[in-house]
Amino acid sequence: MPEQHEHVISIHGLVNRFGKQVVHDGLELDVRRDEILGVVGGSGTGKSVLLRSILGLHGPNEGEIEVLGQTIRYHEPGPHKQWGVLFQGGALLSGLTVQENVELPIALHSNLHMDTRRELAVLKIFMVGLDLTAAAKYPNELSGGMRKRASLARALALEPKILFLDEPTSGLDPISATEFDELISYLAANLDLTIVMITHDVDSLFGVCDRVAVLVNKGIIVDTLEEIVKHPDPWIQEYFGDPRAVRARKAAKAKVKI
Amino acid sequence: MTFLLDSDGMSEYLTVERQGGLLQVNLKDHWIFANLDTLQETLDDIELEAEKRVRFVCGGLRDFDLAGAWVLYEKSMDYEELDIETDFDGFKASHFKFLQHIIDIAAQEEYIPGFFDPKPSHFWRNGIRRIGHNTIEAVDSVGFIARAVLDGIKRPSRLVVGETIRQVHATGAAAIPIVMVVCFLMGIVLAYQSARQLEQFGANIFMVDLVANAIFRELGVLLAAIMVAGRSGSAFAAALGTMKLTEEVDALRVMGLNPNQILIIPRVFGLMIALPLLTVFADIAGLLGGAFIGATVLDINWFAFTERLASTIDVNDVLVGLSKAPVFAFLIAVTGTLRGMQVKGSAEELGRLTTIAVVQSIFLIIVADAIFTVVYARIGF
Repeated sequence: MPEQHEHVISIHGLVNRFGKQVVHDGLELDVRRDEILGVVGGSGTGKSVLLRSILGLHGPNEGEIEVLGQTIRYHEPGPHKQWGVLFQGGALLSGLTVQENVELPIALHSNLHMDTRRELAVLKIFMVGLDLTAAAKYPNELSGGMRKRASLARALALEPKILFLDEPTSGLDPISATEFDELISYLAANLDLTIVMITHDVDSLFGVCDRVAVLVNKGIIVDTLEEIVKHPDPWIQEYFGDPRAVRARKAAKAKVKI
Repeated sequence: MTFLLDSDGMSEYLTVERQGGLLQVNLKDHWIFANLDTLQETLDDIELEAEKRVRFVCGGLRDFDLAGAWVLYEKSMDYEELDIETDFDGFKASHFKFLQHIIDIAAQEEYIPGFFDPKPSHFWRNGIRRIGHNTIEAVDSVGFIARAVLDGIKRPSRLVVGETIRQVHATGAAAIPIVMVVCFLMGIVLAYQSARQLEQFGANIFMVDLVANAIFRELGVLLAAIMVAGRSGSAFAAALGTMKLTEEVDALRVMGLNPNQILIIPRVFGLMIALPLLTVFADIAGLLGGAFIGATVLDINWFAFTERLASTIDVNDVLVGLSKAPVFAFLIAVTGTLRGMQVKGSAEELGRLTTIAVVQSIFLIIVADAIFTVVYARIGF
C-alpha cells in the first residue's frame, strides 16, 4: 500500500495547565488517516485532558488543534458528524433504550424516514455484536460489556471518519476485553476508520494498535510498537518491561506468525 | 441503447443502461450517509421494463460508506424478492468490503418479524392490573416504613443521633427565614381580607380573632409543612435516589449497616423534631404580619392587638396546630425517603420519583389536615 500519510488530527504546541501544575507543555501530535493510535501514560499525565482538548470539551491554555481540517475551539461545535466517541462509562442516555440511543444522533443530523433510521440503527447494533433483544433494553439492564458495545454502536451511528475510545476495555473481564479488541480490529478493517484509543490495557495495545503515543515529560512520544519498546525513557522502559506487557507482546507476535 | 436519466437528482448519483434483459445501474459520486435520502429516492425511481437481471456497477464511485452499501443491498434484496437476479460488479476491494460486511451481518442475524410493531393495547386488563399493582405497592410501602421505623427504634446507634441532629438543622433551622417570610405575608393577607368584611359592621377588632385562629390552628403549620415538603421532601427523595443509583445504599448494606437505620430514621425523626419547632416560628411570623397591618392600616395598635389576642386565644388553639406538625413531618419524611429508595436504573426515574414525592406529600398533608379538623371539631378540641 502506498504510504501517502494524511493527518486527520494535528496538534501543535498544546499547553494545558491546572494552577501551577503543567500537564502538557508544547505537545505535538499528528494522527494519520486509517491508523489505530493507542495513547498510554501514567496517571496524571493528561490522557483524558488530551482527549477532551481534541473534542473541544476542554479549553487548552495554548496551542492549536485541527481535526479533519477544522480548527477546534472550546465549546464550539466541532466536526461532530465525522467523529464518534466511546466514553469510558458508555455515557448512554439512561432514559432511552439502546435502539433509541443509537437512533438519536441519526435523528438529530438527518431528515431520514423513521423506518430508515430504525434500520440503520439496527444495522449498527448488529454490527457491534448485539441483537434485537438487547436493542430493546435500557442501559441499566445491560452488562458492562454490552453497554460498551451499545455505546460503540451509537458512536458509529453517523458513519464517522474518526473514532475516539476512552479506555474501551476497562472494567471488562479478560474474555470480553479480548472480544472487544477483536471487534475494534474488525471494524477498523471493514470501515474507513481512524481510531484514537486511550488505554491501560497492554493486551489491547499490542493486539490492536498500529502506533503508540506515550505521554511522558509533559510531551508525547509516538512510534510503532516495535520501536517504542526500545526508547530509553525510564517510564516507557518500566511500562513495557512489566511482565504483563512482555507477555502481551509475546502473545501478539505469536498471533502474527499464525 | 444508452439511456441517461436526467430528471431531478437521478443523474447525480447513477445512470441506467438497458441491454435486452439486463438493467445496468452505474453508480457514481458520493454514496454516503449524508446523501442517504436522495440515494434512496433515486433508487426507487428506477423503473423496470420487464428486465430479469439487474447489475450494479461501481464506475465513478468516489466515496462509499456503510450507509451507502446498505441502501444498495436493501434495493438488491427488493429485486430478489421480485425474482430478479442482481449482481455487483466492478467494486474496488475497499468498496466491496462494505457490501460484504452488510451481507455478513444479514446472514448472521435473523430479523425478528413484528419486533417493532406496536404492542396491542389492553385497556381494561392493564387498568385492573395497575390497580392491583398499586395496591400491592401501597401495602408494601406500609410494611417497608414499619420495618424501617422498628429497625431504628430497636437498635439505635450513635451514628443515628448525630445524623438526626444534622437533619434537624438542614430541614428546620435552615428553613426558618423562608417559612417566616411566607407566614408573615400570609398574616398580612388574612388581616386585609378579614378587615374588608368586618369593616361593614364596624368590627375591625375581630380581625385579631380571625388572624390568630387561622394562623394558630391551621395556616402556620400547614404553610410550614408545605414549604418543608417542597424543600426537604424533594431533597430526601433526590439524595436517597442518587445514593441508590451510585450503589451507596448497597455499599452500606454490605458493610453491615442497615440503610433504613442510617438513612431513613434520622430523616424521619429529624423532621418530626424540626417541623413543630418551625411551626412556632411560623405562628409568630403570621401574628406579626397581622399586627403589622393592624397597626399601620386598620387603627388597631400593638397594645390593642395583644390584648385582644390574649382574650381570644388559649393554649388549646396553639396546641391544635402544634399537634399536627409531627404527623405532617412523618408523612413528608416517609414519602420522600420511600420514593427515594424506590429509584432504580435511570436519571429520569430519579426526577419522576422526586416529583411524585413532593406532590404526594403535599396531598397527604392536606388530607391529614382535613381529618384533623373534622376530628377536633367533633371532640371539641
